[in-house]
Amino acid sequence: MDSNKIMLLILGMAIVTFIPRAIPAILADKMNFGPKTEKFLKLIPYTAMAALIFPGVLSVDTARPVIGIVGALVAAVLAWRKCPVMACVLAAIAADFLLYMFM
Amino acid sequence: MTISKKARYLRGLKASVPVIIGFVPIGIAYAIIARQAGFSIGQTTFMSAAVFAGASQMMAAGMVSQGATIITMVITTFILNLRHLIMSTCVMNRMEPCPIWLRLLASYGVTDESFAVFTTESDDNRDVYFFLGLISGTCSAWVFSSFIGAVFSSFLPEIVSMSLGIALYALFIGLLLPSLTTNFRLLLLAVMTAVCNSLLCSFMASSWALIVSTLLCAFIGVFFVDLEEEKKEAENGQQ
Repeated sequence: MDSNKIMLLILGMAIVTFIPRAIPAILADKMNFGPKTEKFLKLIPYTAMAALIFPGVLSVDTARPVIGIVGALVAAVLAWRKCPVMACVLAAIAADFLLYMFM
Repeated sequence: MTISKKARYLRGLKASVPVIIGFVPIGIAYAIIARQAGFSIGQTTFMSAAVFAGASQMMAAGMVSQGATIITMVITTFILNLRHLIMSTCVMNRMEPCPIWLRLLASYGVTDESFAVFTTESDDNRDVYFFLGLISGTCSAWVFSSFIGAVFSSFLPEIVSMSLGIALYALFIGLLLPSLTTNFRLLLLAVMTAVCNSLLCSFMASSWALIVSTLLCAFIGVFFVDLEEEKKEAENGQQ
């Protein structure tokens, strides 16, 4: 693929990615939701994150699901004990690093 | 208590740190694929700044290597990133009122990660400056790690980059779990969504499965989850 085509691809992708992000920003003044819709929107972060985590976490290392499972468990234990998010991230990385060292 | 715009921006920037760690390995991985597909260092970096959506960038770079047409890649990108419509709606709904140009600027930085951080932050941090600080951190980390990856394609030892693969999942777990410990029904809803998403993934593209399970389960949750209870407990916990 030549250079001009790559630039065209990048611009096309940039436009179609920005549109869904921008629509709610433009309509924010006109958005006036009832209590049920409001609750629906407040629940989305929880359902979206659950869906982002699972089953994706099993394929962190496509050949070895144990990498994702152990990392997730370490993060989960720390998060459950209300450790800062940063600690969860670093501990999960460290756990997977050790796992790779001894595998 | 009123806090200056700068202080709120800096708070947001600080909140971006866990995301930054997760972005480095993905940015580098994307850059390696893009370079293999024939992108220059400049194009690899420019795509990260212009598109700012990791999964679709990796997908496109991979498709270029396979000789896909531009229109196919653009349509795939659109479908893959349609979830940001939902996430941006949640972000804008949560954000305190502000001028439209600031909101448009903010909307450019709506990603899975900035959405997750912003919507789980305490109610003090609902303003646009916090969000702009947050996305300044995430976006520059994304662009910078793509650049580093493009320049030094084998910059990190493999074991390190492989271990970093868990980072974004750990981030989502770290953001999600604390709210679930005080609200059993919300926990139930999260488990239900994970199961629902796994089932859907087996017979549709994962980007669609994510959208469908997120919306469907949030809708079901409206009828049985009590968010007020969780809020009260969280407030008690902070005092």
